[in-house]
Amino acid sequence: MEQLYGIPFNFLECPNLKLKKPSWVKAPSPMTVFGLVLFSYFLVTGGIIYDIIVEPPSIGSTTDEKGNSKPVAFMPYRVNGQYIMEGLASSFLFTLGGLGFIVLDQTNKPMTPRLNRILLLCFAFVCILVSFFTARVFMRMKLPGYMQS
Amino acid sequence: MADAGNIRSALANPTGWQSLIIFTVLTLAWLTGFSSRLFAVIRFESIIHEFDPWFNYRSTHYMVEHGFYNFLNWFDERAWYPLGRIVGGTVYPGLMVTSGCIHWILSFLHITVHIRDICVFLAPVFSGLTALSTYFLTKELWNPGAGLFAACFIAIVPGYISRSVAGSYDNEGIAIFALMFTYYLWIKSVKSGSLYWSAFTALAYFYMVSAWGGYVFIINLIPLHVFVLLLMNRYSHRVYVAYSTFYTVGLILSMQIPFVGFQPIRTSEHMAAAGVFALINAYACLKYLQSILSAKALKQFFIISVAVTAVVVFIAVVGLTYLGYIAPWSGRFYSLWDTGYAKIHIPIIASVSEHQPTTWVSFFFDLHILIATFPAGVWFCIKDINDERVFIVLYAISAVYFAGVMVRLMLTLTPVVCVLSAIAFSQVLSIYLKDDTKTEQSASESQPRDNTEKLYDKPSKVLKKSQAPSDEIEGDGEGIGMNIKSIVVVLMMMMLMLFAVHCTWVTSNAYSSPSIVLSSGGHDGSRNILDDFREAYYWLRQNTDDKARVMSWWDYGYQIAGMANRTTLVDNNTWNNSHIALVGKAMSSNETAAYEIMRSLDVNYVLVIFGGVIGYSGDDINKFLWMVRIAEGEHPRDIRESDYFTQNGEFRVDNAGSKTLLNCLMYKMSYYRFGDLQLDMRTPPGFDRTRNVEIGNKYFKLTHLEEAYTTEHWLVRIYKVKDLANRPKLTKLKKRIRHITTKKTIKRRKGTIKDKIKVIKGKRPSKKRT
Repeated sequence: MEQLYGIPFNFLECPNLKLKKPSWVKAPSPMTVFGLVLFSYFLVTGGIIYDIIVEPPSIGSTTDEKGNSKPVAFMPYRVNGQYIMEGLASSFLFTLGGLGFIVLDQTNKPMTPRLNRILLLCFAFVCILVSFFTARVFMRMKLPGYMQS
Repeated sequence: MADAGNIRSALANPTGWQSLIIFTVLTLAWLTGFSSRLFAVIRFESIIHEFDPWFNYRSTHYMVEHGFYNFLNWFDERAWYPLGRIVGGTVYPGLMVTSGCIHWILSFLHITVHIRDICVFLAPVFSGLTALSTYFLTKELWNPGAGLFAACFIAIVPGYISRSVAGSYDNEGIAIFALMFTYYLWIKSVKSGSLYWSAFTALAYFYMVSAWGGYVFIINLIPLHVFVLLLMNRYSHRVYVAYSTFYTVGLILSMQIPFVGFQPIRTSEHMAAAGVFALINAYACLKYLQSILSAKALKQFFIISVAVTAVVVFIAVVGLTYLGYIAPWSGRFYSLWDTGYAKIHIPIIASVSEHQPTTWVSFFFDLHILIATFPAGVWFCIKDINDERVFIVLYAISAVYFAGVMVRLMLTLTPVVCVLSAIAFSQVLSIYLKDDTKTEQSASESQPRDNTEKLYDKPSKVLKKSQAPSDEIEGDGEGIGMNIKSIVVVLMMMMLMLFAVHCTWVTSNAYSSPSIVLSSGGHDGSRNILDDFREAYYWLRQNTDDKARVMSWWDYGYQIAGMANRTTLVDNNTWNNSHIALVGKAMSSNETAAYEIMRSLDVNYVLVIFGGVIGYSGDDINKFLWMVRIAEGEHPRDIRESDYFTQNGEFRVDNAGSKTLLNCLMYKMSYYRFGDLQLDMRTPPGFDRTRNVEIGNKYFKLTHLEEAYTTEHWLVRIYKVKDLANRPKLTKLKKRIRHITTKKTIKRRKGTIKDKIKVIKGKRPSKKRT
């Protein structure tokens, strides 16, 4: 058996190779994983799968009574339909809100100076509130009867 | 005196308070969840909703009446005429058995309840159990405070309410409880590594398998968890014990369900679990050898064994698949990965509205604020990862993806969103509610009480504020100050309150309509009830023969069977595509061709849903294109979808509509006599309110069908299929007098004998033969 292996090496010379795992192959850090997760979350909540399957236009348009066509950002009254841009806009808001909560937690690191702390807090607040209330406004545009009756 | 001392010490004991609070909050969550699901019962009556629940109710009824074994052997000849359906072998019996058990216990205690009421209230009751198991799961993952949050969220979140309102008696209602409970036990067994917990996991898994086809999610997610743990180098004895016990016991148990049968060892959906089982055993074996062998020997052994195993496994899988022992992916499952698959190959799957891909509105509608806090929860879990948090993160990622593909799978996403959002909220609040100076105990204790009761938070907030000034002076060295903290807390509370309001609004407006009783609001706020469906079904029940066969589109099959108790051709089970295609072909061809199909299928009555009078959009004309598509899939030579569109590719029923459409059976049955009906002075006669057009083909007669019944608002129309007409009479009947001439003249009256020699007297007989 040994000799059988040896046959090629009678006329071949082993090159002096050192194979090692390339340096970039390693377990990803938790934050990389989280970044990927957040990004895919952004896409999925924006209905990217719907966009791929149904292929809606990026922005809709209507014709008013004078015959001019106006762009419409939201497909109204339809829960099962959307335009591409509205989906992305609202999923951006969702992600923004999520980031706000994370920043809210970050303000409590012990080594932060007081000013930074307050600035961070304000930033987090703006993120959360903007995302929350804008999402409500979007919902009103989508379903004009939302939370009215 | 001793009693008083005991009470005092009990009051001073913080753990006593803690468990009291936990108990109260969980009870309240259960109550809130139960009562917010009762909108439909209060508005209408205690009634089974929609389509599938009618079948479940019918089979539960059958089981209660005839016993469990008769139910397992039940061959239903009233469905899928003339094929019939083996109900016992094609159903997940968990739901029926659960409500049957409850009924049995109650009647054992002499509490007489009709089985229908048990069916109606089963899902709301189980939502409380779901809240409990979510609490336990979150408690294992994070802490009891987060658990209370999660329980309250899951009790009222619309994504779960949509499938568990009173009356929607469906598999999902109990399956989500089974899902969360299995996950809780799995986490418990991974943490403890004890045989006891993993055996329980397998039992809970068995309940899940008996309840819902979504068990495939568990049997793929748990192996994925184990696999990722192996990759992350987090292998331990606990994982090994937990997984191998769960897999072996769970596999055997799941094969006891007749509908599942040998699938767990034969289909591709389950192969991942088997592969991970082999892998973890190999890994454990290597670990063991590592302790015996030297490093070099181990290396050699490792390389050889890996190569051999890989080759053997690969050849085995390919060979078994090729020989047909392992079935390839089923279509429904395959469409989860290749999102365009269903649209092209299986129109019947794509035609169901709950299989559509999800838009952003559904996410916001079903989850509201939780959709934003969910990533924060993932972040907390990833930041501080351990064995069980790996599980919840994997669950989150996979569920988000699946929810994006199908609206229906929003249901599996909802629990994990509740868990992770609860973690995020609890984490944020535990920072901002903490008194910087006081002991930590009181803070963590008051936190669940404050936050889980969204509606009763105000008094406790006032209390916090009154404490605030004294804390601010001391605590501004490193903290932010109590004022700002309390602002944060107030804002959180406000958002949670808005969340609760949103949930109630959505439940009341979107998810609480039974869909067999329609209601429309008048201008003065009054509520009109349109009860046409039941009217028609009871008409069928009372006025037709017991053996009559009713043809309708498959959506209404279960309802006809359940309410009218008549034989149907196709129903919501959709197991036989070609049979459905045949019905679709009958609906979409012209009357003569349809009559032949209906004769061959022995149809007596045809039922169509027509919404043109009241403007009901879910009627058969709007579903018609799906019928055409499904029929085209099986009979491409007779039915072509393009025939039903106009030149410009529009689907319209007015004058400009295509001729094929205006003469097909569905059109004729929907619009028969509709041209005579003028609904409104402003519109012409025959104006369709659903599609807002005047119909194209108004005055026509039906030759092979006759109208049997039309309900009050024309919502349901029933036609009787006429028998074959008598032989057509001859139109040109020329009277002709036939002169009957017999050949027996007088001369020949007597019989003659051939070659007889004529003898005439006085003459010599001739020699020649005559």
